[in-house]
Amino acid sequence: MPTVKVNGIEVEVAPGTNMIEAARQAGVDIPHYCYHPHLPVAGNCRMCLVDVEAGGRGPDIACNMQARDGLAIRTDTDNVKRMRRSVMEFLLVNHPLDCPICDQAGECRLQDYYMEHGQHHSRLADEKITRTKRQDIGDLIILDADRCIACSRCVRFSDEVTKTGELRLFNRTDHTEIGVFPGTRLSHHYQGCLADICPVGALTNKDFRFQKRSWYLRAEPSVCDRCATGCNIDVDHDHGEVFRYRPRRNDAVNKSWMCDFGRLSYKRLAAEDRILTARGPEGAEGVDAVLAGLAAAVDAAARDHGDGSVGLVLGTRATNEANWAMLRALRAAVPGARVFLVEGNDPDAFDYTDDLLVHADKNPNTAGVRLIAEADGAVGDAEALRAALADGGLRLLLVLADDVLARLGEVRRPEALAFFGTWANATSEAARWVLPLAAAQEVEGSFTNFQGRVQRLQPAIPAAGDSRPGQVLAAGLARALGEDALPAGAAGVFHDLAANVPAFFGLSLAGLGAEGALVHREPPTEQVAPPDTRPAP
Amino acid sequence: MTQQVPGPEMTTGQKFYVREVLQGLWITLKHTVRNVLNADENFTIIDYPDVKKVMPERYKGAHRLTTRPDGKVKCVACMMCAQICPAKCITIEAGEDPDDPVEKYPVQFQIDMLRCIYCGFCVEACPKDAIRMDTGIYEINGFTRQDLIHDKAYMKDLKAGKKPLAEDWYREHPEDAPPGYDVKAPKLREGY
Ligand code: SF4
Ligand code: SF4
Ligand code: SF4
Ligand code: SF4
Ligand code: FES
Repeated sequence: MPTVKVNGIEVEVAPGTNMIEAARQAGVDIPHYCYHPHLPVAGNCRMCLVDVEAGGRGPDIACNMQARDGLAIRTDTDNVKRMRRSVMEFLLVNHPLDCPICDQAGECRLQDYYMEHGQHHSRLADEKITRTKRQDIGDLIILDADRCIACSRCVRFSDEVTKTGELRLFNRTDHTEIGVFPGTRLSHHYQGCLADICPVGALTNKDFRFQKRSWYLRAEPSVCDRCATGCNIDVDHDHGEVFRYRPRRNDAVNKSWMCDFGRLSYKRLAAEDRILTARGPEGAEGVDAVLAGLAAAVDAAARDHGDGSVGLVLGTRATNEANWAMLRALRAAVPGARVFLVEGNDPDAFDYTDDLLVHADKNPNTAGVRLIAEADGAVGDAEALRAALADGGLRLLLVLADDVLARLGEVRRPEALAFFGTWANATSEAARWVLPLAAAQEVEGSFTNFQGRVQRLQPAIPAAGDSRPGQVLAAGLARALGEDALPAGAAGVFHDLAANVPAFFGLSLAGLGAEGALVHREPPTEQVAPPDTRPAP
Repeated sequence: MTQQVPGPEMTTGQKFYVREVLQGLWITLKHTVRNVLNADENFTIIDYPDVKKVMPERYKGAHRLTTRPDGKVKCVACMMCAQICPAKCITIEAGEDPDDPVEKYPVQFQIDMLRCIYCGFCVEACPKDAIRMDTGIYEINGFTRQDLIHDKAYMKDLKAGKKPLAEDWYREHPEDAPPGYDVKAPKLREGY
């Protein structure tokens, strides 16, 4: 492990670490544009120039300087300050200063570094060189070539990450212009990431365009719930109104990326088809009244037709806690209740899969529910449910989150159906009792992604309408069924889960950490490489 | 922490404030008598609302949205004014104009004049000189609260001058002029 010195502070770093990262570990921030931790080093912006004190020759760029024993750099010399100011002046020579109409303003590296390191006056006496503004180059991207500082991050992203290679820097020197090849458009499904990595306002998000100035937004950490990968996200909201999702770095899951389907799924939080109120046979009622009605029906069915007439379908779209709490509640009140797990995708899932991030399974918690089902030992699959419905023995079916009727296709419907879900679907239409389940971004809990990585959810925004987290609805149902002694709260339910499901042994909700924690077993679901759906270059 | 600053020592007589109160009343009375005796010189009576006072040039009146030569508002909906406004009374809805090279414009721009404290920060903050308080309009009134939410259509190029200036009015209505006012050589005091 090489030991390097940054401004006299000694740090030991992993071999291969570059000096920007080494300095970060020493608590020193080196300004940079073109370097990105998940892209190859290009070294063309020169913003990261530092003085080399020992172990090399300088000044040199920190992004391309690998840590080696004896290397000592300084970032606080007058020389470094002068170099940074000069680089800023150079980058801003032809810059349009569109800040009032630029969506990047507030999170723009040019603005930040100008205030920190520039503060010069323009010495340009000639006309600025201008380039093409407002180009519609993709479904999610507007390109303003005039604002580009030619850092080539976007070029490297499309070459190395999506491997579609649509973007290039054309021409040379002052006339360098970023663009797509004539007549082509961005074709991949990670376009939003281009707006994220562009350090200036050249590539901006079309969906977010002029919607909100960035400084009004608060970012809260969460996890995307649109596929089994579980990309880590920041939910950017203004007083509970969500304006965008952005990927949050997690090197073990999504690096710094997320797909456009997930990115745009923030719209589902305030979508028309959200289930916001509880509905019973008599129409809309309070959540507690509907739960009481449902509990009475569960009691009656178990009494008149035996425990086996009551069933529960676990939800691959609900949290570990919601599933575990529902299972516990029902098993406590009706020990012989039948439990099922129906895997598959709902009709509202998006139809795209690749080998970068997007998993074929569009449910965020299939792996977690599988582990719970395994530990329970008596959970039937889709075939078992179909058979139970066909013989009519199953009279009352509780469904958690998934559109089970659509997944099963043609089946004999149970006499009575209760649906705990977030969005209206075929199952909620057919249900006699509908209970509003809060969305993943609104609850405390956890998802287990396809790798078996348990990732923590924290409420980023308040739950919409009357909706409540699954463990709260389950606790309400348990109370209505006369079971008061079950663990409550997300942390309590997770604790109980971790004590009873072997794969979760030793985990705690608070201890999951920023990267999440793997469950105890071989990652079971290796991604299968799907057919290449990208158009030929 | 607040600090107690000791005041001057007062005698027992002073503590009753009788002399001080009478002194104050005397000053008021003195000025009243002096003003009434020289009314022509000391008062300018304006027949508001028929006649309107013209405010000093730098008076901060109702806001105006300035325009470009092509008639569109200069504002680009950058939200700087809304951001700085201490009363948080500016609401702007941004939109995109596909035909305009400026790209961004305010679809709606509202100022709640009931909440505005006339600090003028919005004018200072604007990078486009798109908002000014130079109309001199001080009659910011209405019959409903809604009337007092000035919107883009109202503020666009808002000008004073719905009411005649005092000079113009007295020229046409000499009978309204204050006593001693010479219509031919108006000598209203500066600012009137
Ligand atoms: S890229 Fe940055 S500096 Fe340039 S106009 Fe946009 S916000 Fe301003
Ligand atoms: S468009 Fe943005 S990311 Fe691409 S080269 Fe220009 S500044 Fe860099
Ligand atoms: S004058 Fe002051 S209070 Fe009134 S709108 Fe402008 S910034 Fe707000
Ligand atoms: S600061 Fe000026 S340009 Fe920006 S929104 Fe306000 S009035 Fe419009
Ligand atoms: S970050 Fe090192 S040269 Fe750009």
